[in-house]
Amino acid sequence: MSDDARSDGGDAAVETGGDPGPAGFEPLSVDAAADLIEEVVDNVERVIVGKRDAVEHILVATVARGHVLLEDVPGTGKTMLARSVATSVDASFRRVQFTPDLLPSDVTGVNVFNQKSQEFEFQAGPVFANVVLADEINRAPPKTQSALLEAMEERQVTVDGDTRPLPEPFVVIATQNDVESGRTYELPMAEIDRFAKKLRLGYPEGDQEAEIIGRTAGHHPIEELEAVTDGRTLQRARETAGQVTLSEPVRKYIGRLAEHTRNRAQLGVSPRGSIALARTSQVRALLDGRDYVTPDDVQEEVQTVFAHRIRPRTGSETGEDVVAESLSSVPVE
Amino acid sequence: MTAAEPSGESPRRSRLAVDPDWSLRDAVAQPAMLGVALLTASYLRVLVHVTDVVGGTTLLAAEVVAVLVVGAFLAARVDARTALLGSAGVLVGGMLTYYFSIPASQRALIDFGVVLRDLVALLSGLSVFRLVQADVWALAVLPAPLLGSWLLALRGRYATSVAVGGTALGLFVLTGDAGTLTTLTGVVGAAVAVGLGELAPRRALAAHWDTVALVVTAMVVVTSTVSVVPGGGASPIVAGSSAPTLEGNVVDNADSVGIVGAIRLSPEVRFTVESERPSYWRVGAYDRFTGGSWVRTGESRPYGGGLDAPPGATTSVEQTITAETTLNSMPAAWKPVTVRGNVQQATQVTAEDGLRAAAPIAEGESYTVVSERPAYTTRALRNAGTDYPDGVRSRYLGLPDSTPDRVGERAAAVAERANASTPYDTAVAIEEYLESSKEYSLNVERPRGSVADAFLFEMEAGYCTYYATTMAVMLRTQGIPARMATGYTTGERVAEDEWVVRGLNAHAWVEVYFPEVGWVAFDPTPSAPREETGERRVSQAREAGEAGVDTNQSGPGEWTPTPTATPEDESGANDTVGATSTPDLADIAGGQRTAGAGELGSFTPGGSGGSSGPSLPSPETVGYGLVLLFGGIAAGRRFGIDDRLYRFVWLRYQPRDAPVADVERAYDRVETLLAAQRRPRRAGETVADYLDTLGVRDDRVRRVASLYERAHYAGDATATDADDAVAAADALVRETTPLLGRLR
Repeated sequence: MSDDARSDGGDAAVETGGDPGPAGFEPLSVDAAADLIEEVVDNVERVIVGKRDAVEHILVATVARGHVLLEDVPGTGKTMLARSVATSVDASFRRVQFTPDLLPSDVTGVNVFNQKSQEFEFQAGPVFANVVLADEINRAPPKTQSALLEAMEERQVTVDGDTRPLPEPFVVIATQNDVESGRTYELPMAEIDRFAKKLRLGYPEGDQEAEIIGRTAGHHPIEELEAVTDGRTLQRARETAGQVTLSEPVRKYIGRLAEHTRNRAQLGVSPRGSIALARTSQVRALLDGRDYVTPDDVQEEVQTVFAHRIRPRTGSETGEDVVAESLSSVPVE
Repeated sequence: MTAAEPSGESPRRSRLAVDPDWSLRDAVAQPAMLGVALLTASYLRVLVHVTDVVGGTTLLAAEVVAVLVVGAFLAARVDARTALLGSAGVLVGGMLTYYFSIPASQRALIDFGVVLRDLVALLSGLSVFRLVQADVWALAVLPAPLLGSWLLALRGRYATSVAVGGTALGLFVLTGDAGTLTTLTGVVGAAVAVGLGELAPRRALAAHWDTVALVVTAMVVVTSTVSVVPGGGASPIVAGSSAPTLEGNVVDNADSVGIVGAIRLSPEVRFTVESERPSYWRVGAYDRFTGGSWVRTGESRPYGGGLDAPPGATTSVEQTITAETTLNSMPAAWKPVTVRGNVQQATQVTAEDGLRAAAPIAEGESYTVVSERPAYTTRALRNAGTDYPDGVRSRYLGLPDSTPDRVGERAAAVAERANASTPYDTAVAIEEYLESSKEYSLNVERPRGSVADAFLFEMEAGYCTYYATTMAVMLRTQGIPARMATGYTTGERVAEDEWVVRGLNAHAWVEVYFPEVGWVAFDPTPSAPREETGERRVSQAREAGEAGVDTNQSGPGEWTPTPTATPEDESGANDTVGATSTPDLADIAGGQRTAGAGELGSFTPGGSGGSSGPSLPSPETVGYGLVLLFGGIAAGRRFGIDDRLYRFVWLRYQPRDAPVADVERAYDRVETLLAAQRRPRRAGETVADYLDTLGVRDDRVRRVASLYERAHYAGDATATDADDAVAAADALVRETTPLLGRLR
């Protein structure tokens, strides 16, 4: 599968322009930001049936400048979900299928010598998009994984010594297949930590599957999906989220939760995890139409933000168990 | 004092090297020092009282300061063992000093047996006041325990320090000089020192101070309410004990008379006297006044047959006294010279030449005493002058340093108003003044401080002990040797030459010394009310059918001429009273000096003490209350009552602050209510979860909760929000408060 990274439905002109910076956008009002997210979620729901929570989480991570790791069996709509989100915000979308022979340059792009102009030209890789779907990320060798993960963290790519900023907004939605453990390179803890959230979609429930079949019987609804907003508005919503009040009691609560996981598990949540929780909680508050974070927001976010960062002491325990215990024993003040 | 190095410490350290880890400031700042100070104060108080009475308070204070300074200097250099041995050395040195301070003539009499006997006597209740050189003794005995306990306390050995100080206090408890309160103070101090001394180094003071407080409170409360020996010597501070009898108070105490409060009369017949003349049947006299009691100093000696008669002219009186109950004393008219009868062997002669029964005289036993009564005329007394012998001067003029000056001033004023220029006139003036200005009452409250001062300026009534004490003290302030004498009044005359004497005849009066005449009795107690009280008690006892009120001779109205004859009734002549009886005031006031009494009436009973405002509670009551309060606080803390009380007030009263704080507290109150009514908010439960789980629908609660979320998590609340929240919380709290909620 040396057919390298394919752009999938990616017609978008890749913006490689300068970093707009956080202060470059006028923030939306709280209500407008909440409405915007609702709108996007509703739009995505036309394609994805019965996964409103997951969609919300992805949106929250997006607005919170985070990336999402989807872990599930194949065929549960991971790709479709990522595409729908990208389409809804009228942003460029690229999909990278990670395979064992995928090279870092297949992700980031290469300098190609142009015979005509006698110069090296940069051929941008699929990472230069607003929404990047990294499919089956655990199949690529660590070197390639780390190329993507570096791009995620730094929001820039360095090829042959030239550093190029990635477009904004930039969201990576990676998927991980946990049924075939052969020929996979499990993501190390340090890299998993860079995903703001890890989600499971799960199979549809009851009538939902019938609904999905019905909707997709003719042509796929994604083809009719229209954008409801644009990257610029999303940036403004991000600005609004950054201004949501994060008071000291809440900050301390987050700190106590993180500390509790550290005391409780073999490997607990890093400060990066705490920061991610704080940011996603801000967006969650926004979704609720509030300009301040309450512990309720934190509690809603903590499972998806913390669980994948924890290595429990025993094999019978999961990260979710540790987080659940932290939730019930760390006092809210 | 060799090898004083403790085994655990470095052996190369010289014995007097300064311990580098020790600091005086730290050692003194230890909380246990408070207890050590209390204990030290308790036995110092006894010694200060001793020196106050016999002189030398300044010297004692200087000694205390010197010992404290030396101790502070030595504390860095010695260990506990050296300190103990050093104190023992100081004690031996002090005792040697005392030994050499005793006059050489007396010292010759002291051998090992005497020292041992004296020690046993002291430990079995011989008051320190009875030591002739009490002042020197106090100065000699003090440094050892003070230095020892101070050094050990400075070195942090509180238990040992308390043992040393406690030994000193224990000595005074055994001698009877440390009163209940003083002892209690010392014992409480010891408990505090040991308790805090054990807690402080373990850093457990903050957690366990209440235990020490409770122990101390229990000590105080129990000792002041429970008397272990029913009717015993212990007198609880709070619970009232039955009043002692006048007789038991003034006559039975062999070597001292403590002045007490309310007193009652015993109507039992004690003895009968066959005598040619009536007299006061004297038991003893006391020379040293301590402010609250009278003490007889010096030793008694066995009766060797024949005593000196008074210097001047005398009249012989032979009397035969028959005990009707067991008698502990030997009443006889002053001044006894010969004793006959089989009690002679058990007769002792006290230091003031009175008689004393070494063994109780059994019922029915009798003895005969020949007394030589001084025969004098008023003129003789007036002309007696002031040429007192040295022995009398040194023994009968002493007063406690703490006696207020106003006593002397009042005595001088009384003498001046009566134009008294001689000791005799002064004595008569004072006698008359007291008799006319104070009421007779057995039911009085024991005053604080000097009894003489209190009776003179603060009390309006008293009984014989108060009158006699005050008169003796007033005379002493004027340089007139006087002492308090105790005994029985004449009693009920049942035949021409026979008197029946009851317990209620017990009496105290004053003896004044006149050169060339000897001791002359003065009775400042108004005789009429005293006799009335006595008669009333006798008839009351007769009606009640009490046993032992009458002999077969006595009874109501049998010997008609003078049923309750007192000597004064017989004496008619003004100028020659001496030959017949004691010049009791009745003689004098009845005849010649009524005018004087009128003049003296200008002294009000309140005296210069002035207006009697609302009386303050006594220091004991205040201290007792404070201890109870402190113990109550400690107990409250122990049982968490203070916390509950705090929560109660906290829940019901909200002082206003900044809006955010107001809203937060309003919510806290509401949540506290919910916690009490339903269940407390669990860990990990947010406010919204909590209310949802409980299913709270009350809009006020919801409103307060949402205001709280905004205030707490966004730091945002307006004054109106605050008002709303507080009003809602107030309303909710009021609804749940019983009574208060209904009043609304």
